[in-house]
Amino acid sequence: MDTYIVAGYRTAVGKSGRGSLRFSRPDDLAAGVIQHIMQQNPSITSQEIDDVIVGNATPEAEQGLNIGRLVSLMGLNSIDVPGMTVNRYCSSGLETIAIADSKIKNGMGSLIIAGGVESMSPIAMGGWRIVPNAKVAKENPSYYWGMGLTAEEVANKYKVSREDQDEFAFHSHMKALKANENGTFKNDIVPINVEQVYLDESGKRKTKSSTFDQDEGPRKGTSIEALARLKPVFANGGSVTAGNSSQTSDGAAFVMVASEEMVKRHQLKPIARMVSYATAGVDPRIMGIGPVKAIPLALKQAGLKLNDIDLIELNEAFASQSIAVTRELGLNPEILNVNGGAIALGHPLGCTGAKLSVQIFNELKRRNKKYGMVSMCVGTGQGAAGIFEML
Amino acid sequence: MSKRRIKKVAVLGSGVMGSRIACHFANIGLEVLLLDIVPRELNEKEKAKGASIEDKSVRNRIVNEAFSTAIKSKPAPLYSKSYTNRVSLGNFDDDLEKVAHCDWVIEVVVERLDIKKVVFEKVEKYRKEGSIISSNTSGIPIELMLEGRSEDFQKNFLGTHFFNPPRYLELLEIIPSSKTDASLVDFLLDYGRKYLGKKTVLAKDTPAFIANRIGVFSIMSLFHTVKEMNLSVEEVDKLTGPILGRPKSATFRTCDVVGLDTLIHVANGVRENCPDDERKSSFEIPAYVQKMADNGWLGSKSQQGFYKKIKGEDGKSQILSLDLNTLEYSAQEKVKFDSIGKAREIDDIKERTRVLVNHPDKGGEFYRKSFYELFSYVSYRLPEISDELFRIDDGVRAGFGWQLGPFESWDALGLKETLDKMKEAGADVAAWIQEMVDAGHESFYKVEKGVKHYYDVSSKSYLPIPGTEDLVVLDNLREEHTIWKNKGTTIIDLGDGILNLEFHSKMNTIGAETIQGINKAIDLAEKEYDGLVIYNTGGNFSAGANVGMIFMMAVEQEYDELSFAIKQFQNTMMRVRYSSIPVVVATHQMALGGGCELSMHADKVIAHAETYMGLVEFGVGVIPGGGGSKEFALRLSDGLKEGDIRINAFRERFLTIGQAQVATSGKEAFEMGYLRDGIDEVIVSRELQLTRAKKATIELVEKGYTQPIERTDIKVLGQEALGIVYVGANTMKSGNYISEHDQLISEKLGYVLAGGDLSERTEVSERYLLDLERKAFVELCMKRKTLERLQSIVSKGKVLRN
Repeated sequence: MDTYIVAGYRTAVGKSGRGSLRFSRPDDLAAGVIQHIMQQNPSITSQEIDDVIVGNATPEAEQGLNIGRLVSLMGLNSIDVPGMTVNRYCSSGLETIAIADSKIKNGMGSLIIAGGVESMSPIAMGGWRIVPNAKVAKENPSYYWGMGLTAEEVANKYKVSREDQDEFAFHSHMKALKANENGTFKNDIVPINVEQVYLDESGKRKTKSSTFDQDEGPRKGTSIEALARLKPVFANGGSVTAGNSSQTSDGAAFVMVASEEMVKRHQLKPIARMVSYATAGVDPRIMGIGPVKAIPLALKQAGLKLNDIDLIELNEAFASQSIAVTRELGLNPEILNVNGGAIALGHPLGCTGAKLSVQIFNELKRRNKKYGMVSMCVGTGQGAAGIFEML
Repeated sequence: MSKRRIKKVAVLGSGVMGSRIACHFANIGLEVLLLDIVPRELNEKEKAKGASIEDKSVRNRIVNEAFSTAIKSKPAPLYSKSYTNRVSLGNFDDDLEKVAHCDWVIEVVVERLDIKKVVFEKVEKYRKEGSIISSNTSGIPIELMLEGRSEDFQKNFLGTHFFNPPRYLELLEIIPSSKTDASLVDFLLDYGRKYLGKKTVLAKDTPAFIANRIGVFSIMSLFHTVKEMNLSVEEVDKLTGPILGRPKSATFRTCDVVGLDTLIHVANGVRENCPDDERKSSFEIPAYVQKMADNGWLGSKSQQGFYKKIKGEDGKSQILSLDLNTLEYSAQEKVKFDSIGKAREIDDIKERTRVLVNHPDKGGEFYRKSFYELFSYVSYRLPEISDELFRIDDGVRAGFGWQLGPFESWDALGLKETLDKMKEAGADVAAWIQEMVDAGHESFYKVEKGVKHYYDVSSKSYLPIPGTEDLVVLDNLREEHTIWKNKGTTIIDLGDGILNLEFHSKMNTIGAETIQGINKAIDLAEKEYDGLVIYNTGGNFSAGANVGMIFMMAVEQEYDELSFAIKQFQNTMMRVRYSSIPVVVATHQMALGGGCELSMHADKVIAHAETYMGLVEFGVGVIPGGGGSKEFALRLSDGLKEGDIRINAFRERFLTIGQAQVATSGKEAFEMGYLRDGIDEVIVSRELQLTRAKKATIELVEKGYTQPIERTDIKVLGQEALGIVYVGANTMKSGNYISEHDQLISEKLGYVLAGGDLSERTEVSERYLLDLERKAFVELCMKRKTLERLQSIVSKGKVLRN
């Protein structure tokens, strides 16, 4: 049974902590994108949706209490549609699309909303209560390593220099700034109304509303020199800095996957279809190298060669791993992250897979190209890759 | 009249002194308004931003920048970063009217009378009646600032001379004018001591007041003596440094820090404004000093003065000294004086001074010459700069960090004996001293019934030093009230049923004698007294356990003995808490390692504001083994409420020890968990600390002190906490932040704090934790790398990271 992606949107991405979306809860962000999808397809009723699948890497606190189901309730304004939370760390938002796709292919549904959301503003990296297994921690501590340390390990093992990392980061910002300037992401983005309740200087309660519709990560005026001045943050004498790592962010992105029957019933316009999706495990010490194993698997499943791919979104968790993956697989830099990546645009963990998918659809369309690939490294030593074909 | 209350203070002028004075008032809990001038024009940055001169950020730029520089400076002017918001910033044009709400306005603007007068005129417009106004001038006569001011202003106006850095330098000179209300002077003498922690010294309105007058004379006279005796810069600094009970910076290094220009400015001021000073000629600038000033060799601020730091060929920096004859810099030569060699091992400063001054070598000659000059000079300063001689000693001690003031040194050398020698050497002395000696008096000071008395020149009799009549002062009790003593400790009866145990080992480290002393003091107190204070007058409360002893046992692989010694240490700490009498520990300066553990076991700590407390055992390759680790586990347990994220609280405690964090103030010791809210206290005044500690002990007795019961209800986390310990230690090691040995020590510490590898959160006893702690300690002492660390501290006094 054929499946089609018939809609895809994302919020603009806010910087975590001090950014514009720190006043917006993740459930609201996700619901906002889903409401937009429904508004764009007025003939579809909520009751026709079979499931809402929400990717999330830290499903606790504001993202806890079964956020998948809550987002379904809030986004569709109906009690009839179920929802689930899916966690494969940084590929969660791509994983959910693959799950939706397989369910429909197997006749387990005909219309599913899938994507992901992450608000890193209110939640500590890794969650609020980190309790590793003592025995495992002693025997295999790297299973629990912070991602930054694995990025250092990748830089060492694959001999990625500090200079190369900073240069990569610089270009990410330049591409992203240009995209912002050109309005490249306009078709991706659902404007989010942000409301802040606060006390003014004299202690009076005030409210302030604004519309957030542009990615705020790209840094104007950054330079290779400025990036070179930053101190390594994960290892003494290391090369990975806050400047050549992805930004922590807030954001949501969702797509709608439909069966052929649904496309016909509502005269939907298919955008793309998922051709393949593969995940793979690697040594957790060099987590960032995950795509090197996942990408060939996805290509093989699709029966395609790397040359067939027209555009690649490789999540820039760290410049070190992005460069190492590019070199190991011989990826073509010309078609890689053409509008910048997570170093400039941010990496809202569980949302990223869906966000990059939405971005690649619009860029492929603009270029009138066929195949696009979204890939990322995934925590605790994994890689994921999905291939889409434009329709 | 109702009592004066200081709630809000305004500091006018945000320079180096102004900002830091503001910080110190914030330290003691006041609201502070800090003002400075509006800049005349926009700077480049503001222009680029398109700012206007009307913008608040531009108008407050000078004060904003000065204050932010101050709070970032080291040593920190604030007890805690959290005090920053007690200081509000503004400018003279927009915010001066706010002085209407201030109880004390302190002027710290530039040293120009015309400008100061304008400021006072403006202040007068807004200030509230009865509020204090003071000038921090160091050179302008207070009397000259009164002109044009109202009666209420004049009555409430005086000089308050802080020294830099005001948080750390103890001296505060109080200089009334002829119009100052006498009750205000008394108020500030007390306020400065009790609330600001200063040694307050009443000074007359004479040039350079007391401390600088004497201090600068001493330096200027040395400038001449040095040439006469052909001594080198490094020789003089060796002779006038710690060996003589004075700061390490001694004479010439102090000049470099202060700046030769400042020194010359003060010296010229005295020479010009004190026509009757019999030693006016000493304030003349010697040719070589003038030459240095002309060359711009002013000291630290111009990177060269009497010393010059250079980068040697090997890349290491080297400090050269100036040859005062050729005015060329050269490598410092090793200084050797027989007199210093003889005196070095003597702990008592008075005895040491006697040995130094009476030695026949060139050093002794230098001491005699310079002391006789100083003694002569101060004898003539009464009643010119002060009516009472103790104020001169107080000023010099607190202002220049001398252990003994001039008259105290003279007492140490013998009043009559020295007078005779001075006369023999042709030194001139004021008549009152001869009269005093003729009347049969033998010293400038004497202690009567625990109270120090000074010789009062005008009444020709001994009077108690005002304000000290009710103080408990160890130095005044030691002679008559010592009841037990060993090499490292002394037990003194403070009266009213309270004993004091003082340490006097090297650096006040805790070794076998100290342990014996603590036990003895508790034995005695339990038997015949009501309570015990542990307090001392050394440079530091305690630098920690005697590492030498531990090192010896570890090297000899006498692990059973080591374990036994640690157990004894632990038992002694436990006795501090679990005895039938209250034990109050009063700390100051360093209270590290074992000194911190001792404090943590007290029934109450009265910490001086300048207490630097920390568990620094990681530096010597071990974990706290005297109950410190146990105590952190206990406090972690007590601090947790149902529903708290336990692992995060655990991590915080773990890191405090794991990073060997040392509090930079008593306040910070609370923030780091070394001191306990609601139980322990900080006191700003070192002078009043023992009196307070004794009183606090009595209060505990009066409240009905009963011996606490050892705890068996400490909830430890067990395996819940161990995972993060192993991951954290491994991550830090893998990121090259710590060594493999640090990783091992961290894991041992984590294991103890977690209470071992118990499957679930479990209630355990103090004894259980002490056993874990001791076991880990001894195991670490079996490691070669721990031995290397111990050896490094023992032999070089340096922390080794291996």
